[in-house]
Amino acid sequence: MAQAILDPTETPKRHSLWSVFFRNGFLTFVYILLIVLAISMIFPYMWMLANSFKTRTAFFTDPYSIIPQAVTLNTYREALTIGRMSLYLMNSALYTITVLVAQLFINSLAAYSFARVEFPGRDTLFLAVLATLMLPGSVTLIPTFLIAHALGLTNTFMGVVLPSFVSAFGIFLLRQFFLNIPRELEDAARIDGSGFFGTYWRIMLPLAQPAMITLGVFTFLGEWNNFIWPLIVLSDSDKYPVTVGIALFRDFNTIDWPNVFAASTIVSLPVVILFILAQNSIVGGISLSGLKG
Amino acid sequence: MDIATKEIHPALFLENKPRSLWYRIKKTWPAYVFLSPAVILISIFSYVAIGFSLYISFHEYDLITDFRPFVGLENYTEAFGDKLVRIGFRNTILYVVAIVPAIALVSLFLAVLGNQVRKGRAIFRTIFFIPTITPGVVTAMIWIWLYEPTGGVNRLLKMVGLRGPNWLFDPDTALIAIMLMTIWGAVGYYMIIFLAGLAEIPQTFYEAAKVDGASPRHTFWHITLPLLRNSMIFVVVTLTIAAFQVFTQVFIMTRGGPMNSTQTVQMVVYTYAFSYFEMGYASAISWLLFGIIFFFSALQLKMFISRELY
Repeated sequence: MAQAILDPTETPKRHSLWSVFFRNGFLTFVYILLIVLAISMIFPYMWMLANSFKTRTAFFTDPYSIIPQAVTLNTYREALTIGRMSLYLMNSALYTITVLVAQLFINSLAAYSFARVEFPGRDTLFLAVLATLMLPGSVTLIPTFLIAHALGLTNTFMGVVLPSFVSAFGIFLLRQFFLNIPRELEDAARIDGSGFFGTYWRIMLPLAQPAMITLGVFTFLGEWNNFIWPLIVLSDSDKYPVTVGIALFRDFNTIDWPNVFAASTIVSLPVVILFILAQNSIVGGISLSGLKG
Repeated sequence: MDIATKEIHPALFLENKPRSLWYRIKKTWPAYVFLSPAVILISIFSYVAIGFSLYISFHEYDLITDFRPFVGLENYTEAFGDKLVRIGFRNTILYVVAIVPAIALVSLFLAVLGNQVRKGRAIFRTIFFIPTITPGVVTAMIWIWLYEPTGGVNRLLKMVGLRGPNWLFDPDTALIAIMLMTIWGAVGYYMIIFLAGLAEIPQTFYEAAKVDGASPRHTFWHITLPLLRNSMIFVVVTLTIAAFQVFTQVFIMTRGGPMNSTQTVQMVVYTYAFSYFEMGYASAISWLLFGIIFFFSALQLKMFISRELY
């Protein structure tokens, strides 16, 4: 009894005190902290953008101003011509689009088979595919290079893209999605005389669009940002993608910063645009799976 | 008509009685055709690759000569005595031990804080995510500039009355500089994983805690944290595996210098394989790294699983 009387008097007091503190003090503190952190995240890229428009003298006199005094596009012109970024951009676009198309096609075909056909050996094969997710890239790096070398693919277009044509993760993601699509739709298509490929192409692919977009975005980001593989497999700088191309700016003794920032902005632009367009499927995809790139 | 559809519908085999293997293969052969590109590529670039890697790690294997003798465990024993390899492992373990807890805790902290605010949550999430989507090479280039002796980082330190070091050119600070940049760049990504974990916690738990008069701190320790365990396992394990293979930042920012203070295992593997073309030796080092990654992942999983309280 005594406790029952004591408790209700004590809890509301503590509770209201907390809630006042919570609403005003704590929330303000949280906002301030988040804003400070957000500024730290965004400012390096703001400086990159601002400095990419500065002339050399403007950069040296005032490298940390966000709004350039005099705007120049010379940095971009030089990055594209002397820094050969236009060439690297073309290469990167070619590699990325090829890998994107190949991955969407090859992964979805495999995922469809795994999800819908009860063929002998299916579960074993699926496990064998999933098991490769556990392999650290550092172990397969050297043998992949040697295999590419043996196939005569080093320093070629195919050498850059071929090892990225399939991803166990992509197969897994699409298979999960296919499993949730009701079978009745395919049955109807089959009765109408649609074959195996026709059902996949006309019924499953359109239905799997959300998963295909998620996989496509990740594949694009992964290939565009890919660095170590093209660095290793290519020896001819004419074939470099943007990531390896921009690393060449580092090789000079004195770094020409305004040009580096212009080149960096050019390289970042496609992924930033993609991020703005597909933010929800990126965040959704990560929450779903925790996949990076 | 009815029989015909039944015959070509592979899914219906589930309900059918087991038939001969040959019959089932005959009826499901398109699946093998559809799978073949994926299976062939995965076989070559994963299974043949690891087998090949293991094979050459027992050989003296370079690209220059055709003489590739079997050397047994010599590559492995040599690696144990190699000073550069030792430095690489020392730095890599330091790096992992520093950044994995730091990123896990900071991103958990950010997710819990971000979950408190209603207005502007999406904006914070977007901004914190920028370093993840920007190519690592670009971020590393920007940070080379920020770490200059009179760069942004030291200007900031000067404002609070501290004199910053020459970050990337001082052997005492170069690895720390790379660690700080990596932590800064990774927290937004892992924050999203924790936010997804938080969203899965049923709201009724919090309501029940509120009714019982639990303090916010209590709620955090006894509801939020235990129920985020799966997210935590995922974050720590994947982060550890990725951190052990750190390469891009180091390659761009310091190339392992100054005085090998930022040599990591992956840098050493790269140097031996692609500067000296000692593929067998480099493969042996990469298998040692694999062993360590495997050991740590197993250890972490065991630790998390044995602490099953909820």
